[in-house]
Amino acid sequence: MAIAEASASGHGEFEQSRFRAIRGPAGLVMGYVATILVLVTLNFFLPRALPGEPLEALSNPRSPTFIGDQERRLAVEQYYGLDRPAGEQFLAYLAGLMRGDLGKSIRYNVPVSTLIAERLPWTLLLGGTALTAGTMGGVVAGIRSGWRRGRDGDRLLLPLFVALDSVPMFVVASVIISLFAVQLGWFPLSGARTPFSDAWPPWRQALDIGHHLLLPAGLLAVQFSAFQFLVMRASMIGELGSDYIRLGRAKGMTDRILKYRYAARNALLPTVSVVGLQAGLAVSATIFVEAVFAYPGLGRLMVEAIASRDYPAIQGVFLIVTVMVLTANLAADLAYRRLDVRTRR
Amino acid sequence: MTASASWFLKIGGAITGVFLLLVVAGPALAPYDPQAVVGASLVAPSGAHLLGTNDAGQDILSQLLVGTRASMLTGILAATLAVAAGVLVGATAGLLGGWADLVAMRIVDVFLAIPALPLVILIASLASPSRATIVAVIALAGWPPISRIVRSQTLVLASRGYVHAARGFDSGWPYVVRRHLVPGLAPLIVATYVNWASAAIVLEAGLAFIGLGDPTAVSWGSVLQRALGHAGIYATAAWTWWVLPAGLAIAGAAIGLAFLGVAIEPRSNPRWARS
Repeated sequence: MAIAEASASGHGEFEQSRFRAIRGPAGLVMGYVATILVLVTLNFFLPRALPGEPLEALSNPRSPTFIGDQERRLAVEQYYGLDRPAGEQFLAYLAGLMRGDLGKSIRYNVPVSTLIAERLPWTLLLGGTALTAGTMGGVVAGIRSGWRRGRDGDRLLLPLFVALDSVPMFVVASVIISLFAVQLGWFPLSGARTPFSDAWPPWRQALDIGHHLLLPAGLLAVQFSAFQFLVMRASMIGELGSDYIRLGRAKGMTDRILKYRYAARNALLPTVSVVGLQAGLAVSATIFVEAVFAYPGLGRLMVEAIASRDYPAIQGVFLIVTVMVLTANLAADLAYRRLDVRTRR
Repeated sequence: MTASASWFLKIGGAITGVFLLLVVAGPALAPYDPQAVVGASLVAPSGAHLLGTNDAGQDILSQLLVGTRASMLTGILAATLAVAAGVLVGATAGLLGGWADLVAMRIVDVFLAIPALPLVILIASLASPSRATIVAVIALAGWPPISRIVRSQTLVLASRGYVHAARGFDSGWPYVVRRHLVPGLAPLIVATYVNWASAAIVLEAGLAFIGLGDPTAVSWGSVLQRALGHAGIYATAAWTWWVLPAGLAIAGAAIGLAFLGVAIEPRSNPRWARS
């Protein structure tokens, strides 16, 4: 899926900012703010405008999503304020967002912001570890494969990465669990830590968390590396035709120095953009991996919320996750501008 | 890569061909009614049940064979819709230029910036679960990136010498579109379509797996959801005949189409041909 999306959005457009109406970093920031405004508006209007009136159904005793518990139903009705005019609802929603009020979860009966604060660190730990490891692995594999394009090892790598990229995450996750956690018994089945391990000494708790992290993070890292690999490989091949490589060869430089110190360094630039693009794709993969591994992050929270049609929770996670991805994209775009001298003019 | 393109074409074409055959013949080949209780709970594979039964005593092979049609057709339908919308918007924006182009591309930019899966999940969970909802949300995720590449390609084609020549000889836009634009865009559209069909099948199964599928249909994703939701699925041997075949079906269909996409791409996309 990543390849389909990436090739669709066009590798060649990395150098250009998304919002080309206004040039420079100011244009990037304006695009970022505009997109967030669109997101907030979408998040307000979607539950109210979609067919089937999902919000009304929550208070309709004959609907399957009716909230039986009166206290919870009143909290939801009050949060969405459906008896008030739409304009007033929107203002109240915006004012709530400013205060960090994302409503109350129907399923857990606690503020959504509290739930998100509990789950966010786990997602950051899982996603951050995987993104770091995956980027490094993909870049190194891309350098090697690009340098030796068309030769023995390289011919196997491409089909392998295409296959890796198209196989659904939740299937692979289940196979990995069955293999490493059940058959071999090397890793725990699910979760982020052993239950009731709070009383353990800190070093043992850290080991335990790492032990639980290794399988899901490793799997995500492999997934993330696929895209980074393809971009790095293509970028590397682009550099190999350059004059400076021929000059280096003519001067008798060793392959090793040419490969890593010259070609790879120049080819590395697009990977910065990829890290930003990856953030969006990483979210998809992480949601599925958390669901299969029962890892207590935001993705799992979203999937749990779906089962009980817990709209405030789904909407809250949606907003936080999308803002995080947009911020990562902005950071990558700004970093790219600083790194690439050509775009600074 | 040119050398391995034919390899991708053979393998991808063979896999896709088998799955397309199953879309047609699957329900006829299924030995049992996929929803009927035809045996004991979690029976291991045997002559009577080649892939055993699930926790409710339904025949798993029949569910997968019947589900092939639901899963593949939903994916193919969603990809068709996404590509149609993407081509329409992209080609129109590219040809018209000016304000229409600017407005259309800003809308596309916003969609591209928002991560697709959370948006798809949000909409699918709010709307009533049905086949139409699933097709619509997958298409919604697909059209913006597709319209982007179609627009770029349209701009490239419209600036070609032969288009200028045709315009110079007083041929109207309908002629140029039919004679130059459609043939020029076709390879790109076919490759994009195949890639998106692969992605859409995986996405459909994924949505069913997290509980957003069509609740009335038997599909690969719904089989997986039930299997992985079964308490202690890893504790029994049932994993190998319940989860694994469903997973292999989804993965196989996705890989087949993705390989086909790689095989077609070099001819239409110079960017890939170079590598």
